[in-house]
Amino acid sequence: MPVSAYTQVTELSADAHACLTFGQRDDLLDLTAAFVRDGLASGFRVVVLSDSPQLATAKLGWREIAAEEAVAAGQMVMVASQDGLVGPQGFSAEQAMSWLRDQLADSRRHGYAGMRVALDMSWALRPMTGIEELPVLEEEIAAAVSGAGMSVLCGYDRERFDPVTLALIAPFHSHTVAAATYYDDPVLRICRQYVPPGIRLAGEMDFMAAEALALALGEAIRIDGDITINMANLSFIDASSIRMVTDAAASLDPSRTVILRCRPAIEARFTQLGADRLPQVSLVGVDEG
Amino acid sequence: MKGNDRRPDPLSPGDSPVLADPEADVGDGEGRLVLDQAFDSGTLYALRAAVQAHAIQAGLPESRTDDLVIAVHELAANAVRHGGGAGRLRMWERDGALHCQVNDGGSSAAGTQAGPGGNMADRWPFLQGHGLWLVRLVADQISVFSGPGGTRATIVFSVGKDPSVSAPD
Repeated sequence: MPVSAYTQVTELSADAHACLTFGQRDDLLDLTAAFVRDGLASGFRVVVLSDSPQLATAKLGWREIAAEEAVAAGQMVMVASQDGLVGPQGFSAEQAMSWLRDQLADSRRHGYAGMRVALDMSWALRPMTGIEELPVLEEEIAAAVSGAGMSVLCGYDRERFDPVTLALIAPFHSHTVAAATYYDDPVLRICRQYVPPGIRLAGEMDFMAAEALALALGEAIRIDGDITINMANLSFIDASSIRMVTDAAASLDPSRTVILRCRPAIEARFTQLGADRLPQVSLVGVDEG
Repeated sequence: MKGNDRRPDPLSPGDSPVLADPEADVGDGEGRLVLDQAFDSGTLYALRAAVQAHAIQAGLPESRTDDLVIAVHELAANAVRHGGGAGRLRMWERDGALHCQVNDGGSSAAGTQAGPGGNMADRWPFLQGHGLWLVRLVADQISVFSGPGGTRATIVFSVGKDPSVSAPD
């Protein structure tokens, strides 16, 4: 297991107030997807707040979350930041909490046993009046989730929020959530992907990170079912790393599928080295992440 | 990693064994040297970035640039893993083609002092491994020389003039 002081997003309790700090939007989307998926599977109402509900729906879509269907069924609510936490006059903790309480009341009225709320906090990066009340909002959320059958996941971009703000809001959260990471330097990142299950490689992968790749693949193939190796943001992979991925795929029962999601240039490399001839491998081309 | 941040070059003192090699391709006056870069395990990323930039500059189409980058990387990776742990790339233009020569340094004096008739061809497992298989697949030409100065591999990529090579976008 990768060493981590963080809680797995899949292990959050029903009244968690979790802080998701992410370095890449892929992490936010992936961890949010896991949070949403588990919430829907538990029969909870799920509310997702983001700057663009349309884009968020699409991004959840390829992660096998049927957001549109869940919205149509009333189990899920996709809401834009400006229709939720932020009012026309700017931000106030009171107004934001009133929106959140309304959501909870609505969820209960419809008979849901619980509610999960995923908040992409990017809106708070924009200049607006009242933003100094952000820690007040987090403090009040902490009080509101207690015993309410509501859990809230707040996503903060740790590259864009200043350390002072992050330090102010962090203590009000009961859990800290981040992607399990096997390798992270300016050239390469290898981390777990929660939805669909597998791993994600971004940057440039070569034999120097072979050990981390071996660990990541080893953990990924231990789970049941199909595995996705998401390489949509990988711009280079060398032959020995390709060999490691295909060896891992070849070691699986042919009934299982390893989905290799990659750009055309990387896909061609896997094909050149014969990966497409393995019954376990499914190559899926993508334009970009 | 900074592209210009050269590490101490293990090959630098004067005439390197490779330059002294009578069959060395560089320096015969016909080619134009565009890149001369030492590398080791920590600078392969910078090497790939430099090769990519120079290949694009030389007019190599995008897909062939990708091929050149991986070919050079695989040769350099072999030098790092199976040669002296470091090496040197030279890249030059000649007759409408890009030539890339990777040598593994023949770095240590002990390494180059093979006994009489010592065969240095086993410095790299040259015919093994997917990496070198891939190099042979993508390069227009490849030649390998192993001698007391180490192992030296040269690959040639035509710059878009060969109709069998995909045209630039």
